[in-house]
Amino acid sequence: MRKIKFMKNEITLQTRREFLRTTVLGSALSWTVPAFLADTLTALHTEAADSATQIVTGKDATILIVLQMAGGNDGINTVVPYSNDYYHQARPRIGLTADKIIKINDEIGLHGAMTGFKNLYDSGNLAVVQGVGYPNPNRSHFRSTEIWQTASDSDRIEKYGWLGRYFDNACAGADPTVGVTIGSQLPEAFFAKTPQGVCFTNPQNYRFVSDAHPRPGQTDMTEESYKKLNELDALENSSPAPDGGPGMATEENNSGGSISSLAAGMPMTGGRAVDFITRTALDAQMSSDEVRNIAARVQNQAVYPVSPLGNSLKLVAKLIGGGLPTRVYYVSQGGYDTHTNQLGTQQRLLGDLGDSMKAFVDDLKAQGNMQRVLVMTFSEFGRRVSDNANGGTDHGAAAPMFIVGSKVKAGLLGKYPSLAPQDLFQGDIKYNVDFRNVYASVLENWLKTKSAPILGRQFEPMQLV
Amino acid sequence: MLKPLSKDRWNLEMAAHLLNRAGFGGSPAEIQKLADFGPDLAVSSLIDYERISDLTLNPEWAQPNTARMLQIRDMNQTGTPDQKKAFQQEQAQLQQRQMLELRGWWLQRMAHGPRPFQEKMTLFWHGHFATSVDKVRDAYYMWRQNELFRRLATGNWQQLLTEAGKDPAMLIWLDQAQSQKAHPNENYARENMELFSLGEGHYTEKDVTEAARAFTGWSLDRLDQRFIYRPFFHDNDDKTFLGRTGNLDGDDVIAQIIAQPQAAKFITAKIWNYFAGQPPTDEVNEALAAIFRGNGNNFKPFLRVLFRSEEFYGTDIVRNQVKSPVQWLIGTVRMLESDLPPPLASWGMLRQLGQDLFAPPNVKGWDGGITWITTNTLLTRYNDAESLVQGTLPPLTADDFAKKPGGAGGVKAVKVLQRLRMGGVDLDKILTPEERGSKASLAASLQHRLLQTTLDGEQEKALGDFLNSKEQLNDADILTAIRLVMSTPEYQVT
Repeated sequence: MRKIKFMKNEITLQTRREFLRTTVLGSALSWTVPAFLADTLTALHTEAADSATQIVTGKDATILIVLQMAGGNDGINTVVPYSNDYYHQARPRIGLTADKIIKINDEIGLHGAMTGFKNLYDSGNLAVVQGVGYPNPNRSHFRSTEIWQTASDSDRIEKYGWLGRYFDNACAGADPTVGVTIGSQLPEAFFAKTPQGVCFTNPQNYRFVSDAHPRPGQTDMTEESYKKLNELDALENSSPAPDGGPGMATEENNSGGSISSLAAGMPMTGGRAVDFITRTALDAQMSSDEVRNIAARVQNQAVYPVSPLGNSLKLVAKLIGGGLPTRVYYVSQGGYDTHTNQLGTQQRLLGDLGDSMKAFVDDLKAQGNMQRVLVMTFSEFGRRVSDNANGGTDHGAAAPMFIVGSKVKAGLLGKYPSLAPQDLFQGDIKYNVDFRNVYASVLENWLKTKSAPILGRQFEPMQLV
Repeated sequence: MLKPLSKDRWNLEMAAHLLNRAGFGGSPAEIQKLADFGPDLAVSSLIDYERISDLTLNPEWAQPNTARMLQIRDMNQTGTPDQKKAFQQEQAQLQQRQMLELRGWWLQRMAHGPRPFQEKMTLFWHGHFATSVDKVRDAYYMWRQNELFRRLATGNWQQLLTEAGKDPAMLIWLDQAQSQKAHPNENYARENMELFSLGEGHYTEKDVTEAARAFTGWSLDRLDQRFIYRPFFHDNDDKTFLGRTGNLDGDDVIAQIIAQPQAAKFITAKIWNYFAGQPPTDEVNEALAAIFRGNGNNFKPFLRVLFRSEEFYGTDIVRNQVKSPVQWLIGTVRMLESDLPPPLASWGMLRQLGQDLFAPPNVKGWDGGITWITTNTLLTRYNDAESLVQGTLPPLTADDFAKKPGGAGGVKAVKVLQRLRMGGVDLDKILTPEERGSKASLAASLQHRLLQTTLDGEQEKALGDFLNSKEQLNDADILTAIRLVMSTPEYQVT
C-alpha cells in the first residue's frame, strides 16, 4: 500500500485541496477523523467553499500572538495618569508619582518597570489601546475571562472561543498546529468544533517514548502497537516534505489508500469522552515530530528573561522561525490578582512582561519575521480606581490593551477614561472601546478574514494596523 | 426519579463503576467483593466509613507552632537584611520539605488507606474550596484545611461552609484576614457566593459589598495560628444581604446563604458532577436538592441516594468520565497492586499532568472533564505509564519542579529524583500461572484488570499482534503490554 505524504511547511490549502480531491472524495466521515481531514473533505463537497479559499498557512501568512495577563491587571497603574489629581486622591497608598513612571506625555506614563515597552513605543512598534472593556462588566475572574475568551455579551454563554470560531470559519483544512498554546491546558478561546489546536510545554517530552530499541530495518513493535491502539496507523509517514520543499502532491504519493480506510473504519459515535481523547491522540501524533524538530533546530537570537513568560515567548519565536504553519499562538502570564501589596508584585510582573516582549521582538527582527507578527495582550478586567487598606486593589472593569507589531498604528489610541468620581460606575472607570472592536480589527485587518461570523455580529474594526 | 438500581442489574461492571467513582478503583478481587455484597452493602461499605478505624499518623509538625511564629515576627522586626535572607531561605526549605511530606501523606491515604471514599470526598472539597500553598505558604495550614475537609467530608453543609471560611488557609488565601471596616476586602465574600455556595447570577454586586462588610472582623491570630474575631475590624452598621437587614456578621451571611434554595441546588449539582462525570439534568438536580434539604443539609443521606440511583449507573455515565490525574495515578497503583512512586516523583507527575495538589491553578479549582486532556497531557500520561509499570524514573525535568523555570530548586529536585527508586509492577502478584498460560488469557486478564471491559475489535487485535510478535513472552514483554493498554484513550476514562 502506498503511503500518503502530508505536506506542511510551505503549502496552501489550495494545493492540499487539489491533492485530496483526487484521492478520498466520497469517503465516509466521522468527527474522530483528524480534524483537518474531516474539514477538508467537508469543504470538498461544498461548491461554495472554493470561493472562500484563502491561504491558510505559508511563509508569508500573518501570525497573531495572544498574551493573557491573568488575574486582572491593574491598568491604572500600568498606563498611569500620573498628573491626574483624582488618581492620587483615590490611591493614597499605591499611587505612582512622576518620578516612578516612564513619561509618554504630560498626562500619561507607563509603569516604571516597563522599560522594554517604552523602547517598543519609541521605535513605533507599540500601540496602547486605552479604556477597553464591554457593557455590563462582570467582576468575576472566571466569568469575565470567559467573556473575553468567547467574545460574548456579558449576559450570554458561548460554547466556543473566539479563536476557535476563527479556526472553524477560516481555517478549514488546516492541520492541528493552526493554533498553538504554550502550556498544558487549552484556553477557552481555542475551544472549537474542530480543530482546537495543540498545546505543549516542553517540546523535548512532546512524544510517545518507546521502550524498544529495534535494530535498523526492524519494526519497533511497541511504537507500532501504540499507533494501532490509538488508531494512528493511517497517519504513518505523515512527516513534512523533506527539507521544507514545496511538497506538491504528485501522482506517486496520491493513492491515499490508508486515508479512506481510516475514515471508513471509524465508528460514528456521539460525543463520548473516549472519542474526544482519540482525536486528541491524533492531533498529538500529527504535531509531535515537527514541533520537536523545530525546537531542536532553530536557535534564539535574543536573550530572554528567565521566567515562565520569557520561556514561552522564546519557544514561540523558535516555532515561528522554524516555519510551523501556525496562525495563532497563545501564551499567558499569571499573578495579577493584586488584592494586597500590589506595588512589589506589579513591579516584578510588568518588568518581566516588558523585558520578555522586547527580547521577543528583537528575536523576530533578527529572524526577519517581525513584519508577520502581531502581539495582543489582554486581561480579564482592570481594577478598582480606589486602592484598598491592604495596599492592593479589588476587581474592576476597563483597562488598556497593548498591541505590538511593526505594522501597528503606534501610539496612544482611544481616550483615557475619566477618573472623576461622578464619571465612575460602582467605583470603576467606564470603557471607551469594546474589546470586540479590537478583535474585529485583528481578524479583518490582520488575519484577513470576515469578523462578523466569528464575533456574532459586525463590530466596527478599530484602526490598529 | 432517583429510583434505586434494581438488585438484578448489580454485577461486576456496576461494582467496578461504584469503586472507581466512590473510591479510586481497585483489584479484580476487591471488585468481586463489592459485587458479592449486593448494592446496598456495597455502597454502605464505602460511605459508612466511620465504622472502619483509620490509624494514619499525622505528620509530626502538624500542630500550631507559636515559638516558630514568634521567631518569624522577631526576625522581621529586628533582623539584619542578611539574617533575614538566611532565615527566609531556611524557612522556605522547611516548608518545601513539609509540603512534599504532606503530599505523599495524602496520596498514601488515597492509595492504601482504609477509607477511600472519605479521601475521595476530601479531594472533592479541596477542589471546591481550592486553596493554594503558593499564597498560604505554610504546610501546617494546608494540612489543617485538609483535615477539616476530611473531618466534615460527609457532614453538614452550613458547618463546613462556616468552618472552611474561618480556617487559617482560607483567611489568608482570599485576604479575609486583613479585611477591615475602612476598606473591606471583597475577595472572600465574592468567591464564597460565586464558587462555594450559590453560583454566578444568584446574588447582586450589592450583595457582594454588603457581605464583605459583614465578614469584617473574621481574622487570623498569626501567633496562635488560628481564627480570631477582631471586634474593632468589624463594621457594626446595618447591611442588607439577600433580603435580610441588620448588623449582620459572617455567621449571619452564611446562614442566609444556606437558607437559599439555590444553595442546595448548587452544591448537590457540583457533587453529582464530580461523581457522575457530567452535570445533572434539571429533574435530577431538583430531586437531589430536595433530598439534601429534607435531611437538614447533611451530605451523607443524599450521597447514599446518589450512589444507589439508577441514574448513576446509566450508560451515558459508566466509563464516560475522564480520569483526573489523581484518579489516574492512584487508580493505576490500586489496579496494579503496586506501590506509589516516591512523593517527589508522584508530585512531579501530577504537576505535569495538570493537578498539583495543594496548588490548584486558581480559586475555581480544576475544570476537570475533557480539559484534563490536551495533546500535551495525553502524551505525558502515556509516557508516565511506562515509569509506573517498568519502575523507571518519570521523564521529569528541572522546570517541572521549579516555581520559576531555571530556578535552583528544580535542578536540585531532579538530582534527588535520580537517586530515588520507583516500584514498578510485580507480575507474580497480579497474574496467576493460568493467566500467563496463553497469550489470549493474558490479553483478557490485562483488559479485565485495567479497563474492567474489553478493547474494541481492532485494538484487541493490535494487542494480540504485539503479544504474538514475541516468541516467548518474558516479563519485560508483559510489562510493555500493560503499558500499551494504559496508552490508549480507553484507559484515560473510567
